[in-house]
Amino acid sequence: MYQVVSNPAALVKEHRRLLSRSRFGPHVSRTVVLLGLTSLFTDISSEMVTTVLPLYLVYVGGFSPLAFGVIDGLYNGAVALVGLASGFLGDRFRRHKEIAATGYGLSALCKLLLMTVGTAVSAIGAVILIDRAGKGIRTAPRDAMISLSTPERQLGTAFGVHRALDTTGAMIGPLVAFGILAIAPVAFHSIFLVSFCFAILGLGILTLFVEPKPVAREAAAPARPPSLRGSFRLVRIPRFRALLIAGGALSLATASDAFLFLALKEDLELGTSLFPLLFVGSASVYMVLAVPMGRLADRVGRGRVFLAGYVLLLGVYAAVLSPVAGWAVVVAALAMLGAYYAATDGVLMALGSSVVPQDVRGSGLALLRTSTSIARLFASLAFGALWTLWGMNVAIVCFGAALAAATVLAAVVLVRTPAPAHD
Amino acid sequence: MTSTRRRTIFALLLGACALATVLAVLSAARQDDPESGDSAAARDVLDDAQAGGRKAVVFRSLDRDRPKARGEVAVATVGGQPAAGGRTLTQLGCDRVYFAAGRGICLARGGGFAAGYKAKIFDEQLRIRHEVPVDGLPSRARVSPDGRYGSVTLFVTGHAYADAGSFSTQTTLIDLARGERIADLEDFTVTKDGVQVTAVDRNFWGVTFAPDSDRFYATMATGGKTYLVVGSVSRRTAHVIHENVECPSLSPDGKRIAYKKRVGSGANPWRLTVLDLSSMRETPLAETRSVDDQAEWLDEEHVLYGIGGEVYVVRADGGGQPRRFLTGAESPAVVSG
Repeated sequence: MYQVVSNPAALVKEHRRLLSRSRFGPHVSRTVVLLGLTSLFTDISSEMVTTVLPLYLVYVGGFSPLAFGVIDGLYNGAVALVGLASGFLGDRFRRHKEIAATGYGLSALCKLLLMTVGTAVSAIGAVILIDRAGKGIRTAPRDAMISLSTPERQLGTAFGVHRALDTTGAMIGPLVAFGILAIAPVAFHSIFLVSFCFAILGLGILTLFVEPKPVAREAAAPARPPSLRGSFRLVRIPRFRALLIAGGALSLATASDAFLFLALKEDLELGTSLFPLLFVGSASVYMVLAVPMGRLADRVGRGRVFLAGYVLLLGVYAAVLSPVAGWAVVVAALAMLGAYYAATDGVLMALGSSVVPQDVRGSGLALLRTSTSIARLFASLAFGALWTLWGMNVAIVCFGAALAAATVLAAVVLVRTPAPAHD
Repeated sequence: MTSTRRRTIFALLLGACALATVLAVLSAARQDDPESGDSAAARDVLDDAQAGGRKAVVFRSLDRDRPKARGEVAVATVGGQPAAGGRTLTQLGCDRVYFAAGRGICLARGGGFAAGYKAKIFDEQLRIRHEVPVDGLPSRARVSPDGRYGSVTLFVTGHAYADAGSFSTQTTLIDLARGERIADLEDFTVTKDGVQVTAVDRNFWGVTFAPDSDRFYATMATGGKTYLVVGSVSRRTAHVIHENVECPSLSPDGKRIAYKKRVGSGANPWRLTVLDLSSMRETPLAETRSVDDQAEWLDEEHVLYGIGGEVYVVRADGGGQPRRFLTGAESPAVVSG
């Protein structure tokens, strides 16, 4: 039976609602948008500093480049472990927001510290370490909040919206930094101060406006907080184990952007001053496609979109190898790289969110993220060694073969494990 | 807290941040001119040293007491060992500097949006005569003993040295009189045991010139190893003569090379070493800390090098103890009297 809407006002209201949905894109919860804005401001802040840090270290003087590279590698390893801890603590105390705020706060504090610690090399190194720790702390509880405030069928879209905002921030940051440097060539302290301001705004949005409200309490949600052992039991869930295997195997065959960009740069004989354009190109595509890819994942299945993303990465490898050089090939490669990120990064978290029980969501997502990032670290080392020993083409061919095998393996393990409705 | 209250707090935060940003940018724009030195006085120091037959050092000042003069080029007279006395700041601000025979190279950031670096070439009056745009982050700068040629090395990866494994450098030779780029070392024909090296992962850094300025030495890296090459600027060729040599620096008599030898791994891998070019004998110097710098010969018996923003001096024959030579300084260039 059809219901006749006789009230014109109600009709108009309903029309507006339908229109606003279609016009203003996907409907995601307020929490997701606010967390996205938090990330946007935080990324403006952190990318400002990342962009000028090498220039600052050269200006400060007395810094051995090699020492910085080695320390940087160690930091990245430490950060992965911090992420696991913060994911677990968020679950344990049901305080994802507070733990995320600690991470955002630490990173904000570091921008102030950079202004005040002076030019001693060890002090600058220590500040960079604290900043990385802050990043490690905030990621897992933030992803947990995104997933807990989103209905299961919209997880892909929600992560897509967050990643789109996040990437927007990452693109604005360097522009702001270079804008200030254009006004004053050694205004590093002004850059750190402005970066601190953006970080504080991000932190303000999180602490003042985000009110994490789980969309639905699971029927069998346990009353007691999860123990460490309870969190480790996650790996007994077959579907979660399948995600760990698939994510890990694919990451082991993923060449880092830095290498791909270098290879593309050689193709084009591009000057170093134009080199950042490669990053801007792929990040723009990622930014634009993050939401559509997330929606597509929710509609046609997240596992499919995730695997399709890695097929796109294979396409990037092929483009890099292609004997035809030129702008067309590079543009195609950057488009595929951006689309690959849009199809995999947020979508993997959506895949994880749909199988990890609510009470251990933070630990589960942290485990998934950490295992893939450690696998990526190994992949980078392997790629670097192959490149050094046999050159770029051999490295790409090896990684291409590995990626094809990993994609097949991932497809098999994902198909074999029972998927929730929207995967 | 009510939602109105939260919004008020956020609005205040937003206002404070906007204000702080505007103030920061304005103050940066006004403080653009760092504490300026006196190039005329610095020139006098150089001239006096020359007249008195004494040595002087041109270097990048990192004086902690004068933070606003950070990165300014300074000169100091070398009186006895180690150098005593103060420094005289010039009006040049550089990230790397070198000076010989009345010509200098100053690697500094250019102005403008997304500015790269420039090799600024200055004369004996410490005035900038030419600017050559270069890509990457400054690493080394050298001038040939007769002031004819210069060489600069820059790190050129997208995110610089943060990406382990994708380290790459670019070394460019410059005609200092005309202020023109001559060639990149990557364009030279390099042979090892008579066979041309064609590997794509070739990287060059740390040039040092012989007194005739045509002959030069440099580091070539390929396949995870480093080599000492000797070459000719006019013939665009070079060949490998030794292994495990980074940042060579030729002694004034042209018979020895001071360099970084890789002896360990991790963050502290290099031992400052001297190679005798006739016997190919290596002598590790008394400095046991890792040195990541291109050494500079003070005289036939001593070399200078930087560690953590200080310049040290050590005997070149492996004896003695390292001593501090200049506090708050890097990138030293010795000017003979």
